[in-house]
Amino acid sequence: MAAVAPGSGASREEEGTGGDAATPQPPAPTSAPGARLSRLPLARVKALVKADPDVTLAGQEAIFILARAAELFVETIAKDAYCCAQQGKRKTLQRRDLDNAIEAVDEFAFLEALSLDY
Amino acid sequence: MASSSGNDDDLTIPRAAINKMIKETLPNVRVANDARELVVNCCTEFIHLISSEANEICNKSEKKTISPEHVIQALESLGFGSYISEVKEVLQECKTVALKRRKASSRLENLGIPEEELLRQQQELFAKARQQQAELAQQEWLQMQQAAQQAQLAAASASASTQAGSSQDEDDDDDI
Repeated sequence: MAAVAPGSGASREEEGTGGDAATPQPPAPTSAPGARLSRLPLARVKALVKADPDVTLAGQEAIFILARAAELFVETIAKDAYCCAQQGKRKTLQRRDLDNAIEAVDEFAFLEALSLDY
Repeated sequence: MASSSGNDDDLTIPRAAINKMIKETLPNVRVANDARELVVNCCTEFIHLISSEANEICNKSEKKTISPEHVIQALESLGFGSYISEVKEVLQECKTVALKRRKASSRLENLGIPEEELLRQQQELFAKARQQQAELAQQEWLQMQQAAQQAQLAAASASASTQAGSSQDEDDDDDI
């Protein structure tokens, strides 16, 4: 159950992100804090966080930065995987490139379970 | 895009968002579909990982709500410390936006008409409207009265003239 972070004063914001995954929030419009805020639909990120039964409350700003971190993660793993593809002299990124990246990078160890059904 | 089975665990980040990010990160690179699928799942897993860790950190602090600081600490402890500086930029922007919004709403309150004055104006308008309604109603009533009077007069003079015309028609008076 996410709460609006104190002081971020926006029932409007809450609504926008709490649009309850009915529609994924489109890339931030120009009136909102710059496109850089997140390319991920905040409502979905919030829903994912709430899906954890142990999580009680998560503030709005926490969701924002988590979304940004997830973006960075995608960029990082994509680039790492691409390196593997290039080493294999391929131009198309294949699933095995991701598997290799997961294996190679310590921080990606948490993904090994996803990579096993290969 | 409501979760179809209602099962929270089926939630993922939408594919389109991931595709867009991949495209921006690796322009002109072809990516196999199953690779994209895996990225979607990895992203979801990442979010669970960080939020879980942040939640634990939050529980250990005296706070009840996961704060940005908790997320940052989680990133650090899980080996994603390199993301922190960029993530902090987002935080800065959040605060800037929140600040702007607060300023904007207080500016509006100051430059606009104060609430008491608005209320007074409203009362005035209501009073005026009521008055107009009353006047209108009265006019209509008067008009009806006049019309009725005229009708009576017309009828009276008509019967008077017929009476003067022939006495045998006295009975006709009763028919009016």
